[in-house]
Amino acid sequence: MKTSIFLVLLLLPALAMAVSLDGWMDFQTGGDSLSPEMGRLDLGGLLKGGNWSLVIHERYSHEDSTGILPRILNSYSRTDVDFLIEAGPVRINPDVCWTVDLGDNKPEMVLPGQAGVAYREGFIRPGLSLEVDIAENYHLFARGLYWNRDLKQEDGYDLAWTESRVSGGLSCETPGLTLSMSGLWHKTNSDLIDYESTWSRFDIALSTKPQSLPANFYVTGDVTYSFYGGTNYLGDDLADRFTSRIRFVRMIVPSLAVNTTFESVIDYDGVIRSACNSVESRIVYRFMRSRDITSSVVLFGKLSRSSIRTERAGVFSRINLYRGLSLLLEAEARVTPTSVAGAGPNRKRYVFGPGLEYQFGTTARIWGMFEQERTNLEKNQNWWRVRAGLEFYPGSFSF
Amino acid sequence: MTRFVKALAAIAVVFILFVACKGPVESTQLLINADDCTGCGECMEVCPYNAVEIIDGDAVIDPSLCHFCYRCVEQCPEGAIY
Repeated sequence: MKTSIFLVLLLLPALAMAVSLDGWMDFQTGGDSLSPEMGRLDLGGLLKGGNWSLVIHERYSHEDSTGILPRILNSYSRTDVDFLIEAGPVRINPDVCWTVDLGDNKPEMVLPGQAGVAYREGFIRPGLSLEVDIAENYHLFARGLYWNRDLKQEDGYDLAWTESRVSGGLSCETPGLTLSMSGLWHKTNSDLIDYESTWSRFDIALSTKPQSLPANFYVTGDVTYSFYGGTNYLGDDLADRFTSRIRFVRMIVPSLAVNTTFESVIDYDGVIRSACNSVESRIVYRFMRSRDITSSVVLFGKLSRSSIRTERAGVFSRINLYRGLSLLLEAEARVTPTSVAGAGPNRKRYVFGPGLEYQFGTTARIWGMFEQERTNLEKNQNWWRVRAGLEFYPGSFSF
Repeated sequence: MTRFVKALAAIAVVFILFVACKGPVESTQLLINADDCTGCGECMEVCPYNAVEIIDGDAVIDPSLCHFCYRCVEQCPEGAIY
């Protein structure tokens, strides 16, 4: 009772202050020669007061599978409610997220320990975060999450599948350097199939962002060593992991910027092994900057080698034609592993397509793309796809 | 301080290039690039082992449940999982 009265007293002054309301909507739909239905609607709202904010995000997603590609097999809604209150150096952030399966075909989940298959019907996940600035440069954070999943076996029995995740840590920030130490503990439990798994991680991370570099040149670097506890699905101990990443951003001229990231990961489980190396680069060229809509060409490429091979390269351009009207053009080539039976270890796909976009200032954006995709699965497949979307941001209202 | 950071960056680059040239490459966990991840949740939907979750707008993989089926790698529209 005393706690409730204290919370009401804490919230009342905050709620009495002027508040602002922001809302947004993003709707995307499409269809292709394989799947006639694809759609996603995101609705969001932000209510913000002096020292508090409330975000509600609602998503409806529906995509269909033709059986050729292992795409999304589900229709679902997801709701995120996120409340944040700041009291001096303390930030308290309770949130809750839940999903509800809306389709007739429930997505399958392969249960651990050869316990068969279950069907996902949604989950509810409450969470609580706490952040405290304990000194000028020291920052303390903690987060707790709990999932209660609706997983049903074929005979209708609920698996009573729950997950708990607790994390926390301390970071120390100086103008060019950040040191952080954090820990994470995760437990998965299902009473019906008598499954319990716990794993943990402790990270020591150092990141740097040099303050005095040549003009228009930015470098960030970070290294993290993660100590893991627990086992993987085979029962083998999880290997410790050392991750290093360095990013260079160079604005060559005001209209041309290059962003390149190198990343390297080493695993250690008694044996040091190179686990993953990747390089990613993005070149952005902006032109016709005097118009309402700046035209741009983005060239991107990425290469990674781990136990698998992934490659990605492409171009995306937006050429302003008249007022808010722009011509879109995309071309992309990708190599990834594939789970399609008989399609070989790697799947190569090429996507090309033009489109049109119209921007109504900062209030709304409507766009459409017509794409052609070619991919090598059991055999070379070609299909077309039409995508369209509407983004709407009515602005901010204060009352 | 600046010299130190520059030296650190140079060492990191040399180190990464050195490691990148060494093989074989064998990963015990998939990696998610949080900078590229948009939190669209497609990886979570296609994972048959319930090993992917969206937390604070980014995909997170549970290393105790992941079976390395690579469906999330294939599905991710941003190429953020590798």
